[in-house]
Amino acid sequence: MNAFRLILAAVLMSAASPAFAQWFKYPTPGIPRTADGKPNLSAPAPKTADGKPDLSGVWLTQGIYIGDITKDRKEPLPFQPWAADLYKYRRETQGKDDPTGWCVVGGVPRSTAVPYPFKILHTTGMVVILYEAVHSYRQIFTDGRPLPKDPNPQWFGYSVGHWDGDTFVVESSGFNDNAWLDNFGHPGTESLRVTERFRRKDFGHMEVQITIDDPKAYTKPWDVTLPLVYQPDAELIEYMCPENNKDVVHLVGK
Amino acid sequence: MHACRITIAATLTALMTTASASAQWLNHPTAGIPRTPDGKPDLAAPVPKSANGKPVLAGLWRPSPGLTGDIARNLKPGEVPFQPWAEALYKQRRATSSKDDPTANCIVGGVPRSDLVGYPFKILEVPGMVVILYEAVHAYRQIFTDGRELPKDPNPTWFGYSVGHWEGDTLVVLTTGFNDKGWLDNAGKPATEHLRVTERFIRKDFGNMDIQITIDDPKAYTKPWTVTQPLAFQPDTELLEYICNENNRYFDLVHDFGK
Repeated sequence: MNAFRLILAAVLMSAASPAFAQWFKYPTPGIPRTADGKPNLSAPAPKTADGKPDLSGVWLTQGIYIGDITKDRKEPLPFQPWAADLYKYRRETQGKDDPTGWCVVGGVPRSTAVPYPFKILHTTGMVVILYEAVHSYRQIFTDGRPLPKDPNPQWFGYSVGHWDGDTFVVESSGFNDNAWLDNFGHPGTESLRVTERFRRKDFGHMEVQITIDDPKAYTKPWDVTLPLVYQPDAELIEYMCPENNKDVVHLVGK
Repeated sequence: MHACRITIAATLTALMTTASASAQWLNHPTAGIPRTPDGKPDLAAPVPKSANGKPVLAGLWRPSPGLTGDIARNLKPGEVPFQPWAEALYKQRRATSSKDDPTANCIVGGVPRSDLVGYPFKILEVPGMVVILYEAVHAYRQIFTDGRELPKDPNPTWFGYSVGHWEGDTLVVLTTGFNDKGWLDNAGKPATEHLRVTERFIRKDFGNMDIQITIDDPKAYTKPWTVTQPLAFQPDTELLEYICNENNRYFDLVHDFGK
């Protein structure tokens, strides 16, 4: 039941609203609170021991960008013609070929542009993101390694991160050519390279500027900025997509 | 192709001894691990310690063949204290070659089954939590170590709800809040919502760790029982992206399977 509801929300995403974890309340330890005990989301951004912003915590992307990451772009996307045609087809057929209909992970950047929270962890040599969506995770190596020259193509690609001042910059490549950049179906190919710049503005707010560089699908790089909001006193719930998945038979595109 | 291979390996769980098929091609030197003068990982080096003096558990580990597939492999016949219905269900699952295995649908193995498969997992230690990233089905598990108690009325889940604390040099993880669909191992030993699992993580040296697993599920077993799964540190390699749902062919096969 639960998985069914969540899958429907994810896939039939025209007006998805956050429906998660309302029942789950555990006070997040160690976060700033106002005098009445409420989380103080406008407190300053916390720092780690090395003086960099601490990005850890449960985050959720603000609703407007969910589904269509290009929602507030003023200019048209620099599609290659075939990619424009494919995008148009996916919209006309209501995303019936969406790989997440089979509970495959959303990948990058799509996993950030869905109505499910994710938890960022800092650990030695890595930043890890635990996604509620499809109960999956992503490793971002911060130990100085370069991106691999011949990676195994993956849905999440291969990610390395470094600090540029107070901005955490993540570069990813090594994607397979099945990717949808968002629920609406903007295409990605094996040439996709994604740069994400995470800027924590205060305790409760972060922005991620996402640059899409995929010369096979787009004539030039383009970027969007997604606002993220901290989720206090909440927790990831177990989103087991393949349990009782009723989606596939409904993916008819009518 | 790749996902298909792995899915079949995971789901045709007649494989009581899953072979190592992971990450042979992937070689990135693991930073900061002890090495012998010739540069090879020194797996017999002492247990590393964290700032608080406790053993570091973080790293990439892989269940040794020990109990993979069959959690009771090292027990004698009759030593699993089944309740009668649980024994009948287990026998039915064996007789039908595990055709009803939930992981065939790419659902996670849960606890303790995810400790007992042929795929590696990475343990992370972060403030207030130990996290396990499983290669199997690309899933994760959170173990809260901030002192919170197990919830009284948890949402039943496949992984349950886990809290951990240190007893000397042993990380003790208690887990409850399971749904009643879990299989304890690939062979299909049943579990119910009453399942309570205790895992004791005992790192013996740099390269070796044991998980002592106690199964306490009075609805399915007449008394608690304990087994030990050895783990081997995996140097100079990495988790692969195991996307079970990509091109899952299990149900094309299962019609002829388990008959």
